[in-house]
Amino acid sequence: MSILLRNIIRFILLILFQVLVLDRILVHQMVNPYLYMLFILLLPFNLPRPALQLLGLMLGLTLDMFSDSMGVHAAACVFIAYLRPFVLNILSPQGGFEGPQRTPSVTTMGVSQFAIYATVMVLLHHIAYFCLSVFSFSDPLYLLMKILLSTAASLFLILIYELLFFSRK
Amino acid sequence: MPEGFPESLDSYPVRNLIIFLRRYFNFFLFLLLEVICLIFVFRNNNFQRTVYLNSANGVSGKLYTRYNDIQYYFHLKSTNDSLVSENLALRQQLATSFDVRDTTTRIVMDTLRKFTNDTARKLLSTEVRKFLYRDAKVINNSVNQTTNYITINRGSNDGIRPNMGVIGPNGMVGVVRTASPNYSVVISLLTKSNGSTSSFSFSSRLKNSGEIGTVYWDGYDAGYVTMKDVPRSAKLHKGDTVITSGFSAVFPENVNIGYIDTVYVGEKASTSFTIRLKLATNFYNLQYVYIIENLLRDEQVRLEDSTRKMLK
Repeated sequence: MSILLRNIIRFILLILFQVLVLDRILVHQMVNPYLYMLFILLLPFNLPRPALQLLGLMLGLTLDMFSDSMGVHAAACVFIAYLRPFVLNILSPQGGFEGPQRTPSVTTMGVSQFAIYATVMVLLHHIAYFCLSVFSFSDPLYLLMKILLSTAASLFLILIYELLFFSRK
Repeated sequence: MPEGFPESLDSYPVRNLIIFLRRYFNFFLFLLLEVICLIFVFRNNNFQRTVYLNSANGVSGKLYTRYNDIQYYFHLKSTNDSLVSENLALRQQLATSFDVRDTTTRIVMDTLRKFTNDTARKLLSTEVRKFLYRDAKVINNSVNQTTNYITINRGSNDGIRPNMGVIGPNGMVGVVRTASPNYSVVISLLTKSNGSTSSFSFSSRLKNSGEIGTVYWDGYDAGYVTMKDVPRSAKLHKGDTVITSGFSAVFPENVNIGYIDTVYVGEKASTSFTIRLKLATNFYNLQYVYIIENLLRDEQVRLEDSTRKMLK
């Protein structure tokens, strides 16, 4: 399957999964798991940065349409899409991750590298998203709890995703 | 550098600018996109403009309708129960449920006058219809966000307009925010706020003693809301009903909001109680709602506005 087709399918499936499954599961008032930004995390390494940011905007706006949170998801997605190259740069070994068509995954980056990458990206996304959606710092504990607990839940989902779609290539 | 270009770049300020822009192109693109997103976020307050990009539009509306067709069956039992109990409550209020012991008077229900919406008859009648109810089906509902929205399958084609009140079979639900031709989005009572007058809060009243307070959601539990500013003189009992006060032009009087769960006294010096209310409406399995149109709303709002202007 070509990398383009694979990403288009992933985009649609992640949005549908987020809208029809995750947004309806009620774990706790403080826990809102998000998996859809995995699309940005798994885009190919060699994608130009403007394209990355525009894809982030598109992904965010699509989800915003469904969850009536106009622009909030989009802002968070553009934010992590912009910061992705920096995070990858810090984590990459000497000479970068090789191969023209490689995408970030456990196999290309190694377990610990990928874990750090996913944690940082998810945390950044959740900080941006919850700061904008709560939009008040009058109750910092509420905000902090929401960010940390939701990050834990989202990372757990990413772990399951990686276990499900693990490829040895 | 190709030949023919001057050594010093200082002589070409525009060129310098272009080089600068190209170097930081990604950063500027990032800033631009973020600004666009933030404009969306804050423009959302101005509801008519973004109606095509929320869950009231065709794509998401259809998807949610399809989804609801399936998951509706799983809630049939509880939906039926709540509708039956509502029917029971309405039946209790029927004139035929009361036996008149005073033989000199006879109650004659003039349903035409009281219930008509016809202009000619309205003029003849002494009682004018103030609230008009429309039914709607909930096709999408969230409870775990900071601001929760409900999508319903009635829109401006059915006469729904923003700022109409929405109640469920058991109690208050929210206020209509936007309406597209076939769908509307309702801001749920579950919208985190701090209870100040500028934020999302509702005027409410204790059913027994009549004290007035303000109801808002603190964002922690979708089964409970907070009522504040209840005077210390109020006699409160666990399980007492809290109803809408009827002060706003949105909701009629006597719509259930919730039942008293726990009572707090904020600070020692505070002159008011803060009450935690168990919500009357179960937001977890909301299936049917009623949209309330206040036919006299325009008149009330116009009068209030003009009075306010006079005072300024």
